[in-house]
Amino acid sequence: MMAMLVLLAFLQVKVPDAAQIIGPPAGTPVTGAQLERRTMEISSELRCPVCQGLAIGDSPSIMAANMKAQVRELLERGYTETQILSYFEKSYGQFVLLKPKFQGVNALVWILPVLALAIGFILVMSKAKKLETAPAKASPTPEEPTDDPYLARVREMVDKP
Amino acid sequence: MNKTVLIVGVIIVAVVIFVLFAGLGKDPSIIDSPLIGKPAPPFALKAVGSGETIDLAALRGKPVVLNFWATWCGPCYEEHPTLVANARNLPNVQFVGVVFNDEEDKIMRFLAQRGTAYPTLLDTNGKTAIAYGVGGVPETYFINPAGTIVAKYAGPLSTEELQANLAKALR
Repeated sequence: MMAMLVLLAFLQVKVPDAAQIIGPPAGTPVTGAQLERRTMEISSELRCPVCQGLAIGDSPSIMAANMKAQVRELLERGYTETQILSYFEKSYGQFVLLKPKFQGVNALVWILPVLALAIGFILVMSKAKKLETAPAKASPTPEEPTDDPYLARVREMVDKP
Repeated sequence: MNKTVLIVGVIIVAVVIFVLFAGLGKDPSIIDSPLIGKPAPPFALKAVGSGETIDLAALRGKPVVLNFWATWCGPCYEEHPTLVANARNLPNVQFVGVVFNDEEDKIMRFLAQRGTAYPTLLDTNGKTAIAYGVGGVPETYFINPAGTIVAKYAGPLSTEELQANLAKALR
């Protein structure tokens, strides 16, 4: 009887389910070697919340292992990568995504490097163009007669074949 | 040209300094929860010791202090007396502990030695912790009587911090 009660209590246990948070699976269940590969791929996109900048796929922490197991389970159930990332984002926020989304202030992360590169390119090109169009270095001006004996001596040495 | 470069350089440096100063003094480990203002993810977990299953939905109508902890977590030892004392002083508030990645006998020993005043539930695979966005332990979520998360606190709570956050659940 006691065992039955314990079993009953165990059966009643329920944890928050992905379906309540992100709806039904939108893809097809993944199995076998592909399941392992996809689990690793998606795990490399999720930040471990207890580590310093590590993906859950690279972290040895218990929390990361739990999250990785969750990724695997969601793939087995047919959830797509977008849905899985959204599932974690809904509880941890955008912080959990190692690749920030192209929206809001985060868009700057994507825009600024391209902008800096473009500005640098324009600067280099304009400088190069200027150098190209600048008159060729003038030939040395014809020597003016000098009374300076040292200068005269230098000229003589330079001109000597 | 040199003047333009100087102006652009000064602007870039000013922006970088502003960003650095804006983040000064902030704890990078504290991340706002996207669940604030949202319904608390539902769960029904087994209580340590009694084996009874406690369903969060059954606690509606009362503010809930949901504390995630573990026996392997040092700051949880520091926080435990605060939670127990407040749970005894605040009978209209339901305190619930959720332990993840731990062993039941260790939890039982911890509670036997340090006392308890509220149910402690077992989150064996950490799924409940993930659904709440738990980054580390201890972390506490304050849920209002309607079942909405109104605050999250990361780290060991003091009575002042606990009551300040609880006030949000009582509004």
